[in-house]
Amino acid sequence: MTEPARLREISDDEFTAAYGSDRFTSAVILNRLRYAVEHMSTGFMREAFSPIIRDWYDFACTISGPPERGYPMAVVSNSLVVFLGTLGDAVRNAVEEYGPENLSPGDVLICNDPYRGGTHVNDVCFIRPVFAGGKIVTFVNMRAHQLDMGGTVPGGFSATKSNVYENGLVIPPVLLWSRDQPVRSTFSLIFDNTRWGGMLLPDFKSIHQQLKLGEQLVLENIERYGLDAYLGTLTYACDTSAERMRDAIALVPDGDYTGSALIDADGLDDTVDYTVRVTLRKRGQHIEVDLSGTSPQARTCINCGVLDAKTAVGVALTMLLDPEVPFTSGTWRTIDLATPPGTLVSSLPPDGGIMMFWEASGAVVSAIFDALNPVLGEKGVAGDYGSTNTHNASGVTAGGTPWTSATQCGGEHGPWGATKEGDGDSYTVLFFLNNLDPATETIEHDAPVVMLRKEHAIDTGGAGEFRGGAANLKDTLWLSAANHYLSPFRTKVPSGVGANGGKAGPNGAMWFFPPREGARELLGTSAEVYAGSIPVAGVLDPDSKAPDPEGVYHYFASRPVWRTEPGTVLRCLTNGGGGWGDPLARDPQRVLADVRNAYVSVEGAARDYGVVVVGDPHHDPEGLRIDEQATAELRARR
Amino acid sequence: MNEIRENPVLERIPVDGPCPRCGAEELRRYPVVSEGGWFQVVKCQSCLYSVDREPWSRLGPIQLLSDSL
Ligand SMILES: [Zn+2]
Repeated sequence: MTEPARLREISDDEFTAAYGSDRFTSAVILNRLRYAVEHMSTGFMREAFSPIIRDWYDFACTISGPPERGYPMAVVSNSLVVFLGTLGDAVRNAVEEYGPENLSPGDVLICNDPYRGGTHVNDVCFIRPVFAGGKIVTFVNMRAHQLDMGGTVPGGFSATKSNVYENGLVIPPVLLWSRDQPVRSTFSLIFDNTRWGGMLLPDFKSIHQQLKLGEQLVLENIERYGLDAYLGTLTYACDTSAERMRDAIALVPDGDYTGSALIDADGLDDTVDYTVRVTLRKRGQHIEVDLSGTSPQARTCINCGVLDAKTAVGVALTMLLDPEVPFTSGTWRTIDLATPPGTLVSSLPPDGGIMMFWEASGAVVSAIFDALNPVLGEKGVAGDYGSTNTHNASGVTAGGTPWTSATQCGGEHGPWGATKEGDGDSYTVLFFLNNLDPATETIEHDAPVVMLRKEHAIDTGGAGEFRGGAANLKDTLWLSAANHYLSPFRTKVPSGVGANGGKAGPNGAMWFFPPREGARELLGTSAEVYAGSIPVAGVLDPDSKAPDPEGVYHYFASRPVWRTEPGTVLRCLTNGGGGWGDPLARDPQRVLADVRNAYVSVEGAARDYGVVVVGDPHHDPEGLRIDEQATAELRARR
Repeated sequence: MNEIRENPVLERIPVDGPCPRCGAEELRRYPVVSEGGWFQVVKCQSCLYSVDREPWSRLGPIQLLSDSL
């Protein structure tokens, strides 16, 4: 087994022989292809009707190479990582099953089966073969979340469905356009089995146009630089990822490392929790990740497929070892995923339904962080908020208009953990999603809801030399009666684990507050407020119902559908991000700034950081100061 | 009335012979997913060298009834 030649060290002639072009031209082509997928993405976002596309950026674009080269996924858009990670395999699996020989110019092949292509049935893959000289030379691809794919729950986001039949419509590889003509039977199949087809149709048409744009931009490159240079560049892009990932892996000491992460419960009852267990075996430039010991597949659709687990492995190792590695199929060249079939993260049809896939594969990311953080020391990365705590609601207004609110009013956004570079960000999405945050104005426009709060919760970032991001606290007031589906999965043990001696962030929870007499004023945030609540989820004090790690667990699907009266307030508090490094090593000036900015309370500054801050952050924030002597004494006592 | 559910473990079938790289008598056959999809590999459990690496079925352990048409 000889080591491949290093890309920087091969001669110009060797480079041209290997990649059909000189280095400079390859770099130009690659940048032009990155432009192509971004151009497709921008066009789609500008035209999309569906809120989940328009407001969440719930789609991604890629370019893959031809069948005889193994469908290398060489170029990806800057977007939803769980889509990018699975699209390479999705394109290969869909095209191989359909038969590349059955494809023609102008075709659009679709597939949404999680077992064939990863993620969940709402995420439809759109694959367009690009022909040059009568042969398929590339595929331009998009995966986009469709608001509904049928099944028993409108919109689909629910942990309560028990198998693939309840889950939604499964589409094998079929043509949606044939030679640029719509295939009516495929459109009818979708429209007859899903809700809100009126929103799906214009988005499908837009996707068709974006794929044509991608095809045109690819063909322009081939015309300008030649087919050899184009195909060579796809290979070069994947080889670059592979080399950088090999280099990054080589820096980890050889050894066997184990980690785990916990998911609270599935959608059936709260008697079973689910553990993801990983063993990473690292030798030289190779890593094998074994998921043996992970819980069996769940009884309801909180599972993910093995391709999502593979994505999680690629993301976790990229984030921990070298975030600059371009994400292509080459990322996995010296990484093997070895997993028994039928686990929570390698589920099988028909019983191992897949809907809340990113929660399960996110636990794979957490487990890998858990395994490698102790080895990486200061290169370790602290954990994020762990679950999108997804909220979906629907109902009918007093005037009789149906409405729906999808993935907007729960704890979908939250903090990251800290790193050696600095504090964790506070209001973003899970490590491996990379989406946008819907605007409050569109949320309130589309459903009878008022966003009362969307703020950083105080004292929720894990303490450390660098602080974890703050948990998000969100209050929404529901003006109509509503049916809510709530899916917080990680409240039992901290997801925002610390790194390099940092502390974990505390866990969040969810509550409903029944309608109050004429009340539209803000709910308070002190511990006493929770006594009047109906807890939905979280580990809470049995009396006060405020978060308490020693308290009792409340199960999110104790009511599969939470029905509420007009005037009800939903409160969602996410988990906090983990801290990095020793909290007592944090610069007191940073602690002072945190108190000034309400990330940390005066009490928290003393308790968690040993920093004594004097003054009133609410009424005289500019007057805050550090008591240097008291701080030195307090830190010396720790 | 909870059924007892064992956590699944990947089966690794022993293969005779030493690793050509490190000499360890620890070769095993099992499926992996990596760049390019699923493979059946024979790998040294000591140094992770792949003695053999053949493409496996497209969806790994999942077989489609329509593949039998
Ligand atoms: Zn060996």
